[in-house]
Amino acid sequence: MRVHVDVEKCTGHARCMAYAPEVYELDDLGYNVTPVKDVPAEFEEAARKGALACPEMAITIED
Amino acid sequence: MTDQSRTPIVDFDVFASNTLADNNAAWATVRSECPVGWTPHNGGHWVISGYEQVAEAFRSWEVFSSARTDPEHASITISSSRIPPLIPEELDPPEWHPIRRILAGQLSPVAAERLRPRARHWARHCIDQVIEAGRCELVTGLAFPVPAAVTLEWLGFPESDWEAMAHAFHDPSAHPNGSPEHRRAFAAFGRVTARVAEEVALRAHAPRDDGLTAIVQSEIEGERISSELAEALVFMTIGGGVDTTSALTAAALWHLHRFPDDRARLLADSELLESATEEFLRFYPPARTHARTVTHDVEFAGCPMQAGDRVLLSEIAAGRDGEAFPDADRFVIDRFPNRHLSFGAGIHRCPGSHLARLTFTEIMREVLERIPDYRIVDDEVVEYPNWSMIGGWANLPAAFTPGPRIG
Repeated sequence: MRVHVDVEKCTGHARCMAYAPEVYELDDLGYNVTPVKDVPAEFEEAARKGALACPEMAITIED
Repeated sequence: MTDQSRTPIVDFDVFASNTLADNNAAWATVRSECPVGWTPHNGGHWVISGYEQVAEAFRSWEVFSSARTDPEHASITISSSRIPPLIPEELDPPEWHPIRRILAGQLSPVAAERLRPRARHWARHCIDQVIEAGRCELVTGLAFPVPAAVTLEWLGFPESDWEAMAHAFHDPSAHPNGSPEHRRAFAAFGRVTARVAEEVALRAHAPRDDGLTAIVQSEIEGERISSELAEALVFMTIGGGVDTTSALTAAALWHLHRFPDDRARLLADSELLESATEEFLRFYPPARTHARTVTHDVEFAGCPMQAGDRVLLSEIAAGRDGEAFPDADRFVIDRFPNRHLSFGAGIHRCPGSHLARLTFTEIMREVLERIPDYRIVDDEVVEYPNWSMIGGWANLPAAFTPGPRIG
């Protein structure tokens, strides 16, 4: 699984990190600046929750 | 403003319904009739109440500007309150960007987390003051002072300033227009801005390990920011941090009193507090509306908007939109996903949201652990007199089984 983050849409709600800190890394200001990331199997469910929690709909999942 | 070109017309006066129940009902009606419409009330303005439309408008800063248009009056409230400029909220890019970076750094998730022990300390301290007596005014004794103490202690104001500063922001929301408290609060703003200026000037020469110093020492393009900008950022931080988290906490305390099943579920499973926090935010957004100004003629959601038109965006109506939230009028303690707009969306997303969530969480944990059986005296409950912008409670007197102090 991969997560794609539209970093232009991120406004720093940090809800992705609240659900999946192992997957979504934020910069010093709390914004997600990592456009693509591979997700280890054990964090897939957390990654999905983090994507669903984003109020800006900035995260998509590629299975 | 009454010309026929602005349609559809809705008969909506945000100041006409002055209780929680009536204001929620008015928003439900206007959203179901017309998620985007023009009201002739209050000088004439657009009303945006559907979830998708509110979210899109929040994100479209190029169209819906939050910039101050009148030096004396706020642009981001429809009542145009007479307050100093809210910086960076009342700025658009490009001016907005470097100033927002300063505030975002000070209030990032990591920075906010460092204040968690202080939020816990002040929640514990406030409950220690009342736990032996078995009675408490939950707003003035807990929901109001804890967020104020966390914010003002972090900034570095002496404790002797806290009460007056916090009241200056709480009282205009909590007391009716024209009341002595309301008049005093507006008079107190002058004193708050003077104290902010004094402390900013002190930190410029005598830095300390506090938020005021960090703001004063901030730089934009390698140059230290002006004292005027530092003062504005401190004012914004106090204004944003004091009464909003209080309003959310008061709402949650009132809700758990009114709905014992939700209290029982939280007491049985404290991990539910995380999803409950989001549901409290969706169901009782402290900031219920924000205003914007249209920058250029545009068609939005099929409506012909003109440059200069005022626009009211409704977080509360968006949060109750059944298109976005199944069973939207029901409080669902484990609701997920819950993409409410109660901290806004787009570039002006509340930068204090991380501190707000953790301060709220620490207060609620302390309540659920130490006074889990609190009962509010229904006859003495006082709601805020107006629910057009900030919604909350002025008084929630409560009784509970006494316990020991632990502080």
